[in-house]
Amino acid sequence: MYILLAILAGVSIVLSRIVNYVLADKIGLFQGTFFNYLLGFLGSFVLLLISGDTIQLFSLSSYQGTWWAYTGGLVGVGVIALSSHLSSKISAFYLTLLLFVGQLFGGMVLDYIVSGDFSLQKIIGGLLVVVGLSYNLWIDSKGKHTKKDSTHIVKEGVSSI
Amino acid sequence: MYYLLSLIAGSLLAFMVSSNGIIGEAAGNYASSVIIHLIGLVGVVVVLIITKAKFKNLRQFPLWMYSAGLIGIITVLFNNLTYTTLGVSLTVALGLLGQSVTSIVIDHFGLFGLPISRFDTKKILGFVIILIGIVIMALPA
Repeated sequence: MYILLAILAGVSIVLSRIVNYVLADKIGLFQGTFFNYLLGFLGSFVLLLISGDTIQLFSLSSYQGTWWAYTGGLVGVGVIALSSHLSSKISAFYLTLLLFVGQLFGGMVLDYIVSGDFSLQKIIGGLLVVVGLSYNLWIDSKGKHTKKDSTHIVKEGVSSI
Repeated sequence: MYYLLSLIAGSLLAFMVSSNGIIGEAAGNYASSVIIHLIGLVGVVVVLIITKAKFKNLRQFPLWMYSAGLIGIITVLFNNLTYTTLGVSLTVALGLLGQSVTSIVIDHFGLFGLPISRFDTKKILGFVIILIGIVIMALPA
Protein backbone atom coordinates (compact mmCIF):
# COMPACT_ATOMS: atom_id res chain seq x y z
CA MET A 1 0.00 0.00 0.00
CA TYR A 2 2.68 2.50 1.06
CA ILE A 3 4.88 1.26 -1.76
CA LEU A 4 2.11 2.11 -4.25
CA LEU A 5 1.69 5.58 -2.69
CA ALA A 6 5.44 6.22 -2.99
CA ILE A 7 5.34 5.26 -6.69
CA LEU A 8 2.28 7.48 -7.27
CA ALA A 9 4.15 10.34 -5.59
CA GLY A 10 6.78 9.87 -8.30
CA VAL A 11 4.08 9.89 -10.99
CA SER A 12 2.68 13.15 -9.61
CA ILE A 13 6.18 14.70 -9.58
CA VAL A 14 6.54 14.21 -13.33
CA LEU A 15 3.00 15.42 -14.12
CA SER A 16 3.47 18.50 -11.95
CA ARG A 17 6.91 19.16 -13.46
CA ILE A 18 5.58 18.98 -17.02
CA VAL A 19 2.65 21.29 -16.32
CA ASN A 20 5.04 23.67 -14.53
CA TYR A 21 7.40 23.53 -17.49
CA VAL A 22 4.59 24.28 -19.96
CA LEU A 23 3.46 27.30 -17.92
CA ALA A 24 7.00 28.58 -17.18
CA ASP A 25 7.71 28.39 -20.90
CA LYS A 26 4.80 30.82 -21.47
CA ILE A 27 5.02 33.27 -18.57
CA GLY A 28 8.54 32.88 -17.10
CA LEU A 29 10.26 30.57 -14.63
CA PHE A 30 9.60 32.31 -11.32
CA GLN A 31 6.15 33.51 -12.43
CA GLY A 32 5.27 29.87 -13.09
CA THR A 33 6.73 28.85 -9.73
CA PHE A 34 4.58 31.54 -8.11
CA PHE A 35 1.37 29.97 -9.47
CA ASN A 36 2.65 26.54 -8.47
CA TYR A 37 2.94 27.61 -4.83
CA LEU A 38 -0.18 29.81 -4.87
CA LEU A 39 -2.43 26.99 -6.14
CA GLY A 40 -0.64 24.49 -3.89
CA PHE A 41 -1.29 26.74 -0.90
CA LEU A 42 -4.96 27.39 -1.72
CA GLY A 43 -5.63 23.75 -2.61
CA SER A 44 -4.07 22.33 0.54
CA PHE A 45 -5.91 24.98 2.60
CA VAL A 46 -9.24 23.74 1.20
CA LEU A 47 -8.15 20.15 1.96
CA LEU A 48 -7.26 21.17 5.50
CA LEU A 49 -10.71 22.74 6.02
CA ILE A 50 -12.41 19.59 4.72
CA SER A 51 -10.23 17.30 6.84
CA GLY A 52 -11.34 19.03 10.05
CA ASP A 53 -7.71 19.39 11.21
CA THR A 54 -7.75 23.18 10.76
CA ILE A 55 -6.84 23.74 14.41
CA GLN A 56 -3.44 22.13 13.74
CA LEU A 57 -2.44 25.10 11.61
CA PHE A 58 -2.64 27.31 14.69
CA SER A 59 -1.39 24.77 17.20
CA LEU A 60 2.07 25.41 18.64
CA SER A 61 3.01 21.75 18.38
CA SER A 62 2.82 22.04 14.59
CA TYR A 63 5.87 24.29 14.72
CA GLN A 64 7.93 22.22 17.10
CA GLY A 65 9.61 20.01 14.50
CA THR A 66 13.35 20.49 13.97
CA TRP A 67 13.76 24.12 12.83
CA TRP A 68 15.55 23.28 9.58
CA ALA A 69 12.62 21.18 8.38
CA TYR A 70 10.67 24.42 7.90
CA THR A 71 13.17 25.60 5.28
CA GLY A 72 12.10 22.80 2.91
CA GLY A 73 9.62 25.08 1.11
CA LEU A 74 12.34 27.68 0.51
CA VAL A 75 14.77 25.00 -0.65
CA GLY A 76 12.16 24.01 -3.27
CA VAL A 77 12.34 27.46 -4.83
CA GLY A 78 16.14 27.20 -4.82
CA VAL A 79 16.13 23.77 -6.46
CA ILE A 80 14.09 25.09 -9.39
CA ALA A 81 16.43 28.03 -9.91
CA LEU A 82 19.54 25.86 -9.53
CA SER A 83 18.43 23.11 -11.94
CA SER A 84 17.38 25.64 -14.58
CA HIS A 85 20.79 27.33 -14.27
CA LEU A 86 22.54 23.98 -14.56
CA SER A 87 20.47 22.99 -17.61
CA SER A 88 22.27 25.67 -19.58
CA LYS A 89 25.70 24.57 -18.32
CA ILE A 90 25.88 20.79 -18.63
CA SER A 91 24.12 18.20 -20.77
CA ALA A 92 20.69 16.92 -19.71
CA PHE A 93 22.16 13.42 -19.65
CA TYR A 94 24.68 14.18 -16.90
CA LEU A 95 22.38 16.56 -15.06
CA THR A 96 19.70 13.86 -14.74
CA LEU A 97 22.15 11.23 -13.63
CA LEU A 98 23.80 13.48 -11.05
CA LEU A 99 20.46 14.75 -9.70
CA PHE A 100 19.31 11.15 -9.23
CA VAL A 101 22.56 10.07 -7.59
CA GLY A 102 22.54 13.14 -5.35
CA GLN A 103 18.94 12.52 -4.36
CA LEU A 104 19.37 8.84 -3.64
CA PHE A 105 22.55 9.12 -1.58
CA GLY A 106 21.49 12.42 -0.03
CA GLY A 107 18.45 10.46 1.18
CA MET A 108 20.71 7.83 2.76
CA VAL A 109 22.84 10.44 4.52
CA LEU A 110 19.66 12.10 5.84
CA ASP A 111 18.25 8.76 7.01
CA TYR A 112 21.48 8.30 8.95
CA ILE A 113 21.40 11.81 10.47
CA VAL A 114 17.69 11.72 11.33
CA SER A 115 17.31 8.16 12.57
CA GLY A 116 20.81 6.68 12.74
CA ASP A 117 19.59 4.24 10.12
CA PHE A 118 22.49 3.06 7.96
CA SER A 119 22.51 -0.18 6.02
CA LEU A 120 24.80 -1.82 3.49
CA GLN A 121 21.66 -3.28 1.94
CA LYS A 122 20.36 0.18 0.99
CA ILE A 123 23.71 1.18 -0.47
CA ILE A 124 23.84 -1.94 -2.66
CA GLY A 125 20.21 -1.43 -3.74
CA GLY A 126 20.91 2.26 -4.39
CA LEU A 127 23.96 1.42 -6.51
CA LEU A 128 21.85 -0.97 -8.62
CA VAL A 129 19.27 1.82 -9.15
CA VAL A 130 22.11 4.08 -10.34
CA VAL A 131 23.51 1.37 -12.64
CA GLY A 132 20.07 0.74 -14.22
CA LEU A 133 19.41 4.46 -14.65
CA SER A 134 22.86 5.08 -16.13
CA TYR A 135 22.34 2.29 -18.62
CA ASN A 136 18.94 3.66 -19.74
CA LEU A 137 20.22 7.24 -19.93
CA TRP A 138 23.15 5.98 -21.98
CA ILE A 139 20.74 4.34 -24.45
CA ASP A 140 18.75 7.60 -24.58
CA SER A 141 21.85 9.67 -25.30
CA LYS A 142 22.98 7.22 -27.98
CA GLY A 143 19.58 7.58 -29.68
CA LYS A 144 19.87 11.35 -29.52
CA HIS A 145 23.31 11.47 -31.07
CA THR A 146 22.46 9.15 -33.97
CA LYS A 147 19.17 10.87 -34.86
CA LYS A 148 20.18 14.44 -34.05
CA ASP A 149 16.71 15.93 -34.33
CA SER A 150 15.46 18.70 -32.12
CA THR A 151 12.52 16.71 -30.73
CA HIS A 152 14.89 14.70 -28.57
CA ILE A 153 16.24 17.82 -26.92
CA VAL A 154 12.70 18.83 -25.93
CA LYS A 155 12.01 15.27 -24.79
CA GLU A 156 15.08 15.19 -22.59
CA GLY A 157 14.19 18.53 -21.11
CA VAL A 158 10.91 17.14 -19.90
CA SER A 159 11.61 13.59 -18.84
CA SER A 160 15.01 14.26 -17.38
CA ILE A 161 15.21 17.44 -15.31
CA MET B 1 32.05 22.38 -10.55
CA TYR B 2 28.67 22.09 -12.26
CA TYR B 3 28.69 18.34 -11.66
CA LEU B 4 29.11 19.04 -7.97
CA LEU B 5 26.26 21.58 -8.08
CA SER B 6 24.03 18.95 -9.73
CA LEU B 7 24.78 16.47 -6.96
CA ILE B 8 23.96 19.18 -4.42
CA ALA B 9 20.67 19.99 -6.18
CA GLY B 10 19.80 16.27 -6.08
CA SER B 11 20.54 15.99 -2.37
CA LEU B 12 18.44 19.14 -1.81
CA LEU B 13 15.52 17.20 -3.32
CA ALA B 14 16.09 14.45 -0.75
CA PHE B 15 16.30 17.15 1.92
CA MET B 16 12.87 18.41 0.84
CA VAL B 17 11.33 14.94 1.12
CA SER B 18 12.84 14.53 4.57
CA SER B 19 12.00 18.00 5.92
CA ASN B 20 8.44 17.87 4.59
CA GLY B 21 8.07 14.49 6.28
CA ILE B 22 9.20 15.97 9.60
CA ILE B 23 6.67 18.82 9.35
CA GLY B 24 4.08 16.19 8.45
CA GLU B 25 4.80 14.37 11.69
CA ALA B 26 4.57 17.58 13.74
CA ALA B 27 1.54 19.19 12.09
CA GLY B 28 -0.34 16.34 10.45
CA ASN B 29 -0.50 15.76 6.71
CA TYR B 30 -2.97 18.52 5.85
CA ALA B 31 -1.71 21.41 7.98
CA SER B 32 1.88 20.58 6.99
CA SER B 33 1.03 20.89 3.30
CA VAL B 34 -0.40 24.37 3.96
CA ILE B 35 2.71 25.38 5.94
CA ILE B 36 5.14 24.03 3.32
CA HIS B 37 3.36 25.75 0.42
CA LEU B 38 2.99 29.03 2.33
CA ILE B 39 6.74 29.14 3.10
CA GLY B 40 7.55 28.39 -0.56
CA LEU B 41 5.06 31.05 -1.67
CA VAL B 42 6.71 33.68 0.53
CA GLY B 43 10.11 32.61 -0.85
CA VAL B 44 9.09 32.92 -4.50
CA VAL B 45 7.35 36.27 -3.91
CA VAL B 46 10.61 37.60 -2.46
CA VAL B 47 12.46 36.33 -5.55
CA LEU B 48 9.85 37.94 -7.85
CA ILE B 49 10.25 41.28 -6.07
CA ILE B 50 14.07 41.13 -6.19
CA THR B 51 14.13 40.21 -9.89
CA LYS B 52 11.34 42.75 -10.63
CA ALA B 53 9.53 40.05 -12.64
CA LYS B 54 6.33 40.98 -14.50
CA PHE B 55 3.17 38.99 -15.21
CA LYS B 56 1.81 39.24 -18.75
CA ASN B 57 -1.14 37.81 -20.72
CA LEU B 58 -2.12 35.35 -18.01
CA ARG B 59 -5.70 34.91 -19.27
CA GLN B 60 -4.83 33.55 -22.69
CA PHE B 61 -3.65 30.19 -21.30
CA PRO B 62 -5.96 27.27 -20.45
CA LEU B 63 -6.64 26.68 -16.76
CA TRP B 64 -4.95 23.26 -16.64
CA MET B 65 -1.62 24.96 -17.20
CA TYR B 66 -1.99 26.46 -13.73
CA SER B 67 -2.76 23.13 -12.07
CA ALA B 68 0.82 22.05 -11.27
CA GLY B 69 0.50 23.28 -7.68
CA LEU B 70 -2.59 21.14 -7.16
CA ILE B 71 -0.77 18.06 -8.48
CA GLY B 72 2.12 18.98 -6.17
CA ILE B 73 -0.19 18.59 -3.17
CA ILE B 74 -0.55 14.91 -4.08
CA THR B 75 3.26 14.63 -4.09
CA VAL B 76 3.59 16.19 -0.63
CA LEU B 77 0.71 14.18 0.86
CA PHE B 78 1.87 10.82 -0.51
CA ASN B 79 5.51 11.50 0.37
CA ASN B 80 4.56 12.41 3.94
CA LEU B 81 2.43 9.27 4.29
CA THR B 82 5.20 6.98 3.05
CA TYR B 83 8.19 8.76 4.60
CA THR B 84 7.28 7.68 8.14
CA THR B 85 6.90 4.00 7.25
CA LEU B 86 9.47 3.52 4.47
CA GLY B 87 12.23 6.04 5.31
CA VAL B 88 13.72 8.69 3.01
CA SER B 89 15.86 6.57 0.69
CA LEU B 90 13.21 3.99 -0.15
CA THR B 91 10.57 6.73 -0.64
CA VAL B 92 12.99 8.44 -3.03
CA ALA B 93 13.84 5.20 -4.87
CA LEU B 94 10.19 4.23 -5.42
CA GLY B 95 9.45 7.82 -6.48
CA LEU B 96 12.20 7.54 -9.09
CA LEU B 97 10.57 4.37 -10.43
CA GLY B 98 7.22 6.18 -10.73
CA GLN B 99 8.93 9.14 -12.40
CA SER B 100 10.71 6.95 -14.95
CA VAL B 101 7.59 5.02 -15.94
CA THR B 102 5.48 8.19 -16.22
CA SER B 103 8.13 9.90 -18.34
CA ILE B 104 8.23 6.90 -20.68
CA VAL B 105 4.42 6.82 -21.09
CA ILE B 106 4.25 10.57 -21.78
CA ASP B 107 7.13 10.41 -24.27
CA HIS B 108 5.80 7.29 -25.96
CA PHE B 109 2.35 8.76 -26.62
CA GLY B 110 3.44 12.40 -26.93
CA LEU B 111 1.03 13.56 -24.20
CA PHE B 112 0.67 17.25 -23.25
CA GLY B 113 1.46 18.24 -26.83
CA LEU B 114 5.04 17.01 -26.51
CA PRO B 115 6.87 15.29 -29.36
CA ILE B 116 6.41 11.51 -29.59
CA SER B 117 9.46 9.48 -28.64
CA ARG B 118 8.87 5.74 -28.78
CA PHE B 119 10.04 3.51 -25.92
CA ASP B 120 13.29 1.70 -26.68
CA THR B 121 12.88 -1.95 -25.63
CA LYS B 122 16.62 -2.09 -24.83
CA LYS B 123 15.75 -0.03 -21.75
CA ILE B 124 13.82 -2.96 -20.22
CA LEU B 125 17.16 -4.33 -18.98
CA GLY B 126 17.83 -1.05 -17.16
CA PHE B 127 14.42 -1.15 -15.52
CA VAL B 128 14.93 -4.74 -14.36
CA ILE B 129 18.20 -3.65 -12.69
CA ILE B 130 16.44 -0.64 -11.09
CA LEU B 131 13.62 -2.87 -9.85
CA ILE B 132 16.08 -5.37 -8.29
CA GLY B 133 17.81 -2.45 -6.56
CA ILE B 134 14.51 -1.19 -5.13
CA VAL B 135 13.49 -4.67 -3.97
CA ILE B 136 16.87 -5.04 -2.17
CA MET B 137 16.31 -1.64 -0.50
CA ALA B 138 12.76 -2.63 0.49
CA LEU B 139 13.65 -6.04 1.96
CA PRO B 140 13.61 -6.13 5.77
CA ALA B 141 17.15 -6.05 7.16
